[in-house]
Amino acid sequence: MASAPEHTIAPESPVLKYKRKLNLSGRLGRSDRSHLAVWFWELDRVLLTFIFVLMAIGLIAVAAASPATAQRLSDTTTTLNPLLYFYKQLVWLILGVPVMLFVSMLPKTQARRLAIILCAVFLFLLLLVPLIGTSVNGARRWIGYGLTIQPSEFLKPVFAVTLAWVLSWKAKDATMPVVGLSMILTGTIGILLMMQPNLGATIIFCGIWFVLILLAGLSAQIIGISIAGGLGGLVLAYFFYPVATQRINTWIFGGGEYDQVAFAHRTLTSGGFIGKGPGMGTEKFKLPEAHTDYIFSVIGEEFGLLACAGVAIVFFAIIARVLMRLLDEEDVFTIMAVTGLTTQLGGQAIINMAVNLQLFPSKGMTLPFISYGGSSMIALCLGTGLLLALTRRNPYLNRSSYAKDGFQMNGQKGSHISGQTSGESK
Amino acid sequence: MTALVGNGGRPRLANIKQKVTLVAQVRLIVVLGLFALAITTLLLRLFYYGAFEGQVQRSLVSTDVIPVRADLVDRNGVPLARNMKMRALRVIPEKILGDKNKLAMQLAEIFPDTPASTFLKAMKKDRPSYLRRRLVPEDANKVHALGEVGFEFPREDERFYPQHGLAAHVLGYVDADRKGVMGMEKALEERLVDPAKLAEPAALSIDIRVQAALESELGATMKKHSARGATGVVLDVHTGEVLAMASLPEFNPNKIDATALRHQVNDVTYSVYELGSTFKPLTVAAALDAGTVTNLATRYNATEPLKVGRFRIKDDHAQGRYLNVPEALVHSSNIVTARLADNLGKERMEEMFRKLDFDDRPEIELVEAGRPLWPQNWGRVTNMTVSYGHGIAVTPMHLASAYAALVNGGIWRPATLEKVGPDKADPGRRVFKASTSARIRQLLRMIVSDGTGRKADAPGFRIGGKTGSAEKPKGGGYSKSSLVSTFAAAFPMDDPKYVVITMLDEPKGIAETFGQRTAGWTAAPVVKRLVPRIGPMLGVVPDESRDVDVSELTPLLWRPKGES
Repeated sequence: MASAPEHTIAPESPVLKYKRKLNLSGRLGRSDRSHLAVWFWELDRVLLTFIFVLMAIGLIAVAAASPATAQRLSDTTTTLNPLLYFYKQLVWLILGVPVMLFVSMLPKTQARRLAIILCAVFLFLLLLVPLIGTSVNGARRWIGYGLTIQPSEFLKPVFAVTLAWVLSWKAKDATMPVVGLSMILTGTIGILLMMQPNLGATIIFCGIWFVLILLAGLSAQIIGISIAGGLGGLVLAYFFYPVATQRINTWIFGGGEYDQVAFAHRTLTSGGFIGKGPGMGTEKFKLPEAHTDYIFSVIGEEFGLLACAGVAIVFFAIIARVLMRLLDEEDVFTIMAVTGLTTQLGGQAIINMAVNLQLFPSKGMTLPFISYGGSSMIALCLGTGLLLALTRRNPYLNRSSYAKDGFQMNGQKGSHISGQTSGESK
Repeated sequence: MTALVGNGGRPRLANIKQKVTLVAQVRLIVVLGLFALAITTLLLRLFYYGAFEGQVQRSLVSTDVIPVRADLVDRNGVPLARNMKMRALRVIPEKILGDKNKLAMQLAEIFPDTPASTFLKAMKKDRPSYLRRRLVPEDANKVHALGEVGFEFPREDERFYPQHGLAAHVLGYVDADRKGVMGMEKALEERLVDPAKLAEPAALSIDIRVQAALESELGATMKKHSARGATGVVLDVHTGEVLAMASLPEFNPNKIDATALRHQVNDVTYSVYELGSTFKPLTVAAALDAGTVTNLATRYNATEPLKVGRFRIKDDHAQGRYLNVPEALVHSSNIVTARLADNLGKERMEEMFRKLDFDDRPEIELVEAGRPLWPQNWGRVTNMTVSYGHGIAVTPMHLASAYAALVNGGIWRPATLEKVGPDKADPGRRVFKASTSARIRQLLRMIVSDGTGRKADAPGFRIGGKTGSAEKPKGGGYSKSSLVSTFAAAFPMDDPKYVVITMLDEPKGIAETFGQRTAGWTAAPVVKRLVPRIGPMLGVVPDESRDVDVSELTPLLWRPKGES
């Protein structure tokens, strides 16, 4: 030990010294003005917590479903590791969470710009799918070599933000034909998706569009017409689009004894309220897509219907949390973009659960964050990152009337409303 | 300051913005309400399922463990038939979305053994049908990857025979509805589907090790002699249990196709043959029993063929001299045996054959039991020809049961393919005197040690037996070129435990046997190779210091001078 000359001062404890070195007390504290700290205090941490809860449930669920799929895809020459999909899910989460956090740190204008650029990119890729895409299980949805992605998965969140941006023009200039423009955009995507065929994604895109024009303030008359149009479209699809005919027939008239819907129902109900216990499921091995479309049923068998209810409630908590906070939001673009993203996430979750519960014809749609998704996990994280970025707000803004008036006028960075206003008033 | 510059137009724009925002917020509540409604519906459905449709089985033992049809095992518990869950491929024509022609081509690529037209036909039917059963996982995945919703992959219980062709004729197989078609699968149908006994496998009397040895030895010899078929049976003489039963060529009960159907006749229990000289010990036993032969040293004239009416009885191994009974058996003399039967009389001969059940289907569980060809008119000539195994046709199973009675002390028992517990054996009925049986043991042993059956003599196993080479009936007469060569044996002769019958259908002579195709050159060597393989498994230890005592009979065999 080196000799210490100043014996008069009481020596600082090593722990305190270390803490000071790390500047822990100041870090992320309310006085911390660093970019990271501002992000942390502006972030909807409750929402982020719910997302992490979903990811955790997803990991457990994929671990439960993985052996069923691994066994189905094993053959005499290769035996897949029973937990293969669990490990893969873990890897995609490790890649996806940083993407989500990075996107959530973007300022609102940059997040919007990113979404619009990505929307153009993935729309282009979607156009390429019929030309250079690869087929899996009879549907041509994938693109790429080695690492394949579904452009439609990535398009969903950025489409929601872009559509909100287009519709928000109306607030600036009421004469712009935004509804017509949005219809063309949605219609183009819809036709491309039906060609794949991908009925589930088509419904999600149309759902986002419908919710956004609802928010855009269209008259009740036009909304009524579009609801009628949607129903008419479904009827037309039933009669002229074979995929829809088959799916809806199965749903209404019941499938065969060996239909996947029947297998899913047996799996879901075989565990009762409290389930058979982790790893004790037997019916799951009969499911064709245990780790993706029917993971909700696997949760039902092993963890019980109460756990299923828990998953549904977490999804609703996310939806409610986001939408309730929008009620005191004043920027139309933010309201629409956030609602669009929530519709995408919540709608997909509700449809997937409804399919598992036989309330909806089977769709080929995954349960966000719960199902094994592969590369679409990155798309999901991108969407959630956008959601987190757009729901960030200065926690002090609404607390003092002074701040409300003052900061808004001055265009303080980090305050979304002011940034928007100052730009437009020029 | 931007705020000041834009002050003029601001109130109007803000007004519009406020209005738009207000509408958006009101409708936001509507959207939230819709989501709440949807989630509530899901929750209600979940609780409905939990309350009314949940069938919880919280047991460590899955019902999957209990098979839908009881397993078949051998006497030591080795599985012979069991159930496996396998995927089938089913098509529901009305659900097919893709191009049927293209799908049929793709299926034909995955299953090269079936033409595309077969698949196309099934896809064009009105009703759902099976395209394949027993899909291997690779193929199931390939078909699944076609992405056609009109295909289903039901998991079904399939009967699986882990020993493949081994004991195929004993086991039989089941049809697509898992109903027994032949063999023990059919014979035990009720037992196998009895819900109370599903978990408990049905034990057969078969010992699969013995079965494998029998089939391999028979198969090798059948190939060597280019025979049409080969059959064999190993029977426990004290219980009537069949330890092995083979009818080659065999078939694979896992794959029933045209070849399998051609080979599924069980020649041991269903086909009847004129078994020739193997009947001679039966005639001798009947004569000893009746007392028409009291002195084994008595000689009978075998110098020339025996003329009865227009019928001439000849010897194949003619000795050209007078022969006593031991010599008649050792040299397989038709003439002497016919004379013994003639002395005995047709009533007593017929009675003996009836006691051995030669007038009815063999006594065994199998449905495939052939009716013997019983002489329509049992006259003097017939009586003499049946004494050496002509003019009557029975199954090899009949012969095995008769030989068991010959050597076990004279008790005839029905044969069985079900495992018999200790002391549960059928009491049977007496056919021969115990003293007759003891004498026959000596004679059978002498045939192997000194006679036509020498090629069956495995050192230390004390094998005894009788050859039989019968010409096959063809077009009203007998064919000189096609033989049925049989060897009926028992071991160990000092305390007989097992009867072994081996039979070759139309063996061809080869250089190794100097062109010979008679039983002594074809069927007997099978026994010589087989018994040392199965004896130790069955608890028969080779011992050259032990044998049945034939010293009192040995002097009766005349030997040329110089031969010891």
